[in-house]
Amino acid sequence: MKILVCIKQVPDMESKFKVNAAGNWYDDTDLAWRMNEYDEYAVEQAVQLKQQVGEADLTVLCIGSDRVRETMKKALAMGCDRGAHIADDESYLKDSYAIASLIVSYAKDRGFDLIFTGMQSQDRGSGQVGVLVAEMLGIPSLTTLVEFNYADGTVTAKRELEGGIKAKVSCATPALVTCQLGLNTPRYPTLPNIMKAKKKELISTPAAELNPEASLLEVLQVAPPEKKGGGLVLEGDPADLADQLIKILKEKTTALA
Amino acid sequence: MEYTREIYWNVGHGATTLVPMYLLSLAAVAILVYAFLQRVKIYKQGQKLDRTDQLPLRVTMMVKKVLLQSKVLNVRGPGLAHALFFWGFFLLFLGTCLIVLQADFTDLFFGIKFLQGSFYLFFSLTLDIAGLVAIVMLIGLLIRRFIVRPAGLENTKDDVIMHGLLLAILISGFVIEGARMAVTEMGTPLAAWSPVGLWVAKALSSMGEPAVRGLHSNLWWLHLLMVIIFIAIIPFTKFRHIFTTSANYLFTDLGPKGLIPTIDMEDEEAESFGAATVTDMTWKDIFDADACTSCKRCQDRCPAWATDKPLSPMKMVQQIGEIAFRDPAASLPETIEKDVLWACTTCRACQEICPANIEHVNKIIDMRRNLVLMEGEFPGEEVMTAMENTEVNGNPLGLAFASRGDWAEGLPVVFLGQSTDVDILYFVGCYASFDKRNQAIAKAFVQLCDAAGVRVGILGKEEKCCGEPMRKMGNEYLYQMLANENIEQIKGYGITQIVTTCPHCFNTLNKDYRDLGLDVTVSHYTEYLAKLLEQGRLNLTPQSFDCTYHDSCYLGRYNDIYQAPRTLLAAAGAQLTEMEKHGIESFCCSAGGGRILADENIGTRISEKRAQMAAETGAPTLISNCPFCLTMFEDGVKGADLDEQLKPKDLAEILVERISG
Repeated sequence: MKILVCIKQVPDMESKFKVNAAGNWYDDTDLAWRMNEYDEYAVEQAVQLKQQVGEADLTVLCIGSDRVRETMKKALAMGCDRGAHIADDESYLKDSYAIASLIVSYAKDRGFDLIFTGMQSQDRGSGQVGVLVAEMLGIPSLTTLVEFNYADGTVTAKRELEGGIKAKVSCATPALVTCQLGLNTPRYPTLPNIMKAKKKELISTPAAELNPEASLLEVLQVAPPEKKGGGLVLEGDPADLADQLIKILKEKTTALA
Repeated sequence: MEYTREIYWNVGHGATTLVPMYLLSLAAVAILVYAFLQRVKIYKQGQKLDRTDQLPLRVTMMVKKVLLQSKVLNVRGPGLAHALFFWGFFLLFLGTCLIVLQADFTDLFFGIKFLQGSFYLFFSLTLDIAGLVAIVMLIGLLIRRFIVRPAGLENTKDDVIMHGLLLAILISGFVIEGARMAVTEMGTPLAAWSPVGLWVAKALSSMGEPAVRGLHSNLWWLHLLMVIIFIAIIPFTKFRHIFTTSANYLFTDLGPKGLIPTIDMEDEEAESFGAATVTDMTWKDIFDADACTSCKRCQDRCPAWATDKPLSPMKMVQQIGEIAFRDPAASLPETIEKDVLWACTTCRACQEICPANIEHVNKIIDMRRNLVLMEGEFPGEEVMTAMENTEVNGNPLGLAFASRGDWAEGLPVVFLGQSTDVDILYFVGCYASFDKRNQAIAKAFVQLCDAAGVRVGILGKEEKCCGEPMRKMGNEYLYQMLANENIEQIKGYGITQIVTTCPHCFNTLNKDYRDLGLDVTVSHYTEYLAKLLEQGRLNLTPQSFDCTYHDSCYLGRYNDIYQAPRTLLAAAGAQLTEMEKHGIESFCCSAGGGRILADENIGTRISEKRAQMAAETGAPTLISNCPFCLTMFEDGVKGADLDEQLKPKDLAEILVERISG
């Protein structure tokens, strides 16, 4: 069985963000980098599947500068067998369509039975790459999974819908799934696996060699959210406070409507 | 008249006495040696560890600790009883040796007698008193153990055998002496030099000589037989502690205190890390179990045990021994249980009090290492998150590494990246850098340094967590990654003096980092400021206030710094009311051993218990010297509903309010 898991390196969300000079993305100085949270669920599920079926080859793919190789090593330490790094220092300028086309270009002739991706990235959050890849490859995709099962070429899974409703879905492989919080608890790599990961195959291919499609979408401007009024501290005795609170809730919200 | 007595009186000094006596003795010693050699095989299942270096020092320490009973005496009541019993029994042993030496060696072969004259009188009186003291103490200990029954003291078959046999040996000894005296010494001046014997003799004298002689010879053989049994069963009962505990003083960890063996991460041959089975531990870890006397002093002081968590340091050590003897292939974490291992705060109270010099803490860390490095397991998901946060941002709180130095804005602090013209590197640590409450400590410390004319530099965003909580949780890999990065930074700036406000950072930089190549003077701020105060560079205006003071584990027990903070408190005008558990007996705040990263969801809260102890002093302020402690006490006073009456504060916060001028 051949499995592909696509991951993205994103800044830690606690970082101090600044807009870059071009005004079209964030500046990458003073940022701490980590694996996109949803992709961690994808890697964990892919590794669990590999352990379940026994005979499987698990490739982790990541697009970005050489910096992303560190994050790929974590995926390798978690249990991926080999790494496919698509080297692109300006991947942040590519939209979901262009990114998906790069993945497809890598994956199309390699006969993957299952492709795992995160539901979305924590920085761009478009949530499109996974489904676009599936569409371009002409395979089914199951999105926002919170439960995953595989047996005899069939994926049976649970999707999370609005309001906590779950949908049970199923499809035959080859297929693509996108992973959501609640699917699993990503493992902490063991030391022997960290050591082994250092020796695993991790090949970089320049993005240009994979002939990506042009972006369909251009980011015009990014800006920090406008500062709105801060919190309101009410003071006084409790009975009075309750009245004040009710008044505010009535005037400014629909909570009591 | 020459003062002496006839040795082997009434039993005879011929072959009918000597041959069976020496054959029995030889058999007893043979059994003892053979059984210990069998045990040595069990110890040798463990890994190699050199504990016979600096042998003269080790031997001196052992002899002192055994003869002076200094570790045993750390607990007054039962400790004194044990020490007095030991001294009594030891004198009787020496006395018996002298008798054997004279009767069967010097006198037999050379005609030399030394048990006579005034020396004999002294000898006789000393042994009489020694025997009496031993009996009284033994009865006292027996009453404590079997009638008073202190909580946690478990009675086994061994305890019954030991108390019974020793008491029988001692009492029979006096009856034999009394019987001999009843026939040979009544009415002589010699009798007064054996007061206990004389008292027995008087009681026996009405029996008439033939009956007394019969009693004497029977009891003499019974006494001998009991002593033979005593020697032979030493390896099979807790009597073995006579040898194993003494030997543990010889094999003791010579320090530095609390040093943890550094795993070689470059070793490509290594396939397993930490202790999964006893064979992964060292021979000393198995031997420790044999040195344990079940005195439960460790358990009495364990903050985890005191708050209904499953860890008892005593039971953990004994379990390791049981596993080594019964099933050495068994999984240690599974048998001892993971919750037991995760409960430890590495406060070292167990190790400091242990009269057998057992090393509890590193065993726990060794087993945790196996869980973390080989299984990727932690006490909870929150701990795994903290580890991942530290990997990404260099702090367990997960806050942006780039804002690590933000607290210093507007303060007299230099970032070493900009200038290295400083007197000290202040290694701030994660909590004083990021935690709002603890930033007050960092700010106070730099203001105190400024007032004393000390130029302070910090690493700012180039500083990372010292790695202490990760290391104590068993994550040696992450610890070494952090440590190596910090060491590279520190070395790069050519720093010669580091000061920390966190005792965990202090202990780690000062001891653990040396294994990784850092060789710089490291001080905790309490010692550093106390020195500035003494030199007259730091001037404080005392303002009287009432407080109690908490000795943090890593400043106190790990580094023996008890006086410097009290000197500073006195200079600040503190009216200090000590808690019952202070100094070496201080009770942990719950944050050590990486527990700062973990939720405390078994039993009651250690921090609340400590807050209650502080409140019992009646003092309105609880002073500590550690950001972890402060964090715990802020929670503890709220959890225990004491926040109206008790305010936790760091010592630095008190001092900064009292800077002169």
